[in-house]
Amino acid sequence: MIRISRTATAVLGIIAGFVLLVLYGPLLVAVFFSFFGFQNNAVQWDSFSFAAYAALANDEGIIEAVVNTLIVGAAAVGLALVLGTALAFHYNGSRSRFREALQLVIFLPFLMPPIITGLSLLIFFREADIPRSLWTVVIGHTVFVLALVYRIVLTRLQSLRSSLVEASLDLGASRWQTFRYVLLPSLLPAIGSAAILAFALSFDETLITLLVTGTDSTLPMRLWGMMRMGFTPDINALVALILVGSTLLALLAIRFVKLPTQQ
Amino acid sequence: MSLRSDVIPASTEGEELRLGLYRIVTTVLAYAIPGVFILLPLVLFLVQSFFYVDHGVEVRELTLRNYTRFFSDAAFVPVFLRTCLLCLAVSAICLILAYPVAYLLASLQGRRKYVMTLVFVVPLMMSYIIKIYAIRAILGGNGFLNRILLFLGVIDQPLGFLIFNLQAVALTLAVLLLPFAILPIFIALERIPRNILDASADLGASSWQTFRKVIWPLSLQGTIVAATFAFVLALGDFVTPQMVGGTSGMTFGRIIYSQFGFAFNWPFGAALSVVLLVLVLAVLLLTSLFARARHQL
Repeated sequence: MIRISRTATAVLGIIAGFVLLVLYGPLLVAVFFSFFGFQNNAVQWDSFSFAAYAALANDEGIIEAVVNTLIVGAAAVGLALVLGTALAFHYNGSRSRFREALQLVIFLPFLMPPIITGLSLLIFFREADIPRSLWTVVIGHTVFVLALVYRIVLTRLQSLRSSLVEASLDLGASRWQTFRYVLLPSLLPAIGSAAILAFALSFDETLITLLVTGTDSTLPMRLWGMMRMGFTPDINALVALILVGSTLLALLAIRFVKLPTQQ
Repeated sequence: MSLRSDVIPASTEGEELRLGLYRIVTTVLAYAIPGVFILLPLVLFLVQSFFYVDHGVEVRELTLRNYTRFFSDAAFVPVFLRTCLLCLAVSAICLILAYPVAYLLASLQGRRKYVMTLVFVVPLMMSYIIKIYAIRAILGGNGFLNRILLFLGVIDQPLGFLIFNLQAVALTLAVLLLPFAILPIFIALERIPRNILDASADLGASSWQTFRKVIWPLSLQGTIVAATFAFVLALGDFVTPQMVGGTSGMTFGRIIYSQFGFAFNWPFGAALSVVLLVLVLAVLLLTSLFARARHQL
């Protein structure tokens, strides 16, 4: 643990407070105006209402976009979990010289700016004659979050002792039984945290989505379109709901994700 | 999924054959999926950058004309350089703010450390475009900041310079990327072994000396990773400049995006992205070389 003096703590605290202000200020202002009106340069304190939320609930376009975004996130996370776990097992069990090259390819979409990943996929879909749809967005997101899932699962896998597998096999378990009853339970916390982080990343991801999306609207696309036509006030209500959702997700993550603090 | 294959007893010949077949299939799949969905698109993208568009029709011949156009047309190189400067500024702002925050987080104890770290990471889990929307609602001519200042009587006309220029783009990007910068620094600080800090204190170093001589050198690598993160992510963004940049906030990412939108010149857009990619690879290479050099010290 790092020790610091009182004065230093105060100075750092002020900076941290400022950072919190810029991170959360805009969001909280939006939340505030989802409840209160604003007229003639003054807050209408008596105008507290849930009107923005009611309007949001009636905005079918936005609801469809939110649902599509959640579907994309869930599908991409599911695919990435299966693929990432399989690839982690492959890397761990392989002695091939090419496994490092394969690992680099898996990491590429995470290392490169998202615009490059998005454009490559866009060109690939055109060449392969795959029409852009929700599915192309799912592929884009899967490729993007794969590296994260792979890395987390592999780290956990490498920390398991090989005697665990040997014991299981010696006791007569099949390879599948060993995977199902020995390895999978030990990997579950890692897979859980990977799933939450991957979902959060997918929900946040906008650049790849805008490049590979079809006509099915997702949240980034919907808001991108609104930018030209002007935002409706009920977007403030959406900001509030997303803030609550993200906080809940983060609290859920606490249960799984181990920060490197526990040594 | 090949488990540790050396410990698996293959008793009969048939089983061995099945195992071999299984291994071939999984290996092919392991290489095929990333190969088709990551590597192949990148290759197609590189090839695309050597095609060209003539009178609205894509000509599939390999030429360098997109690249010569980038370097010879006076419209592109200045925007490219300006975007690099912009992203350096974003990276610098992120570091100046992220380091103290990460340091404070690392000095907290127990549950408080956990909760506070989470508070700084939650914004990463929100929709990118929602965050830009909220920031835009603050900075805009009709925005909250202007309304407050008007209300307080500080100004009598809304300030126009808060939004739709490059400064607004830099500030918005810095806010968006701050959590990305905090995390690597925090992790680097957390990895410093406790006994080194104790030793430094036992030998009579003040907390400032410990920071200067022990903590700062040991956290430098994470700090550079943070700077690289912020720089690379800012470089490729086209949504933020489009939403808060206005007409004067033209960036390289926006020019690339427009080639795939209304300009409809995919080969040229691909070539511009390759230029961007080369810069990113150079930055990543420099970072890893630096990290390795420090590792050997």
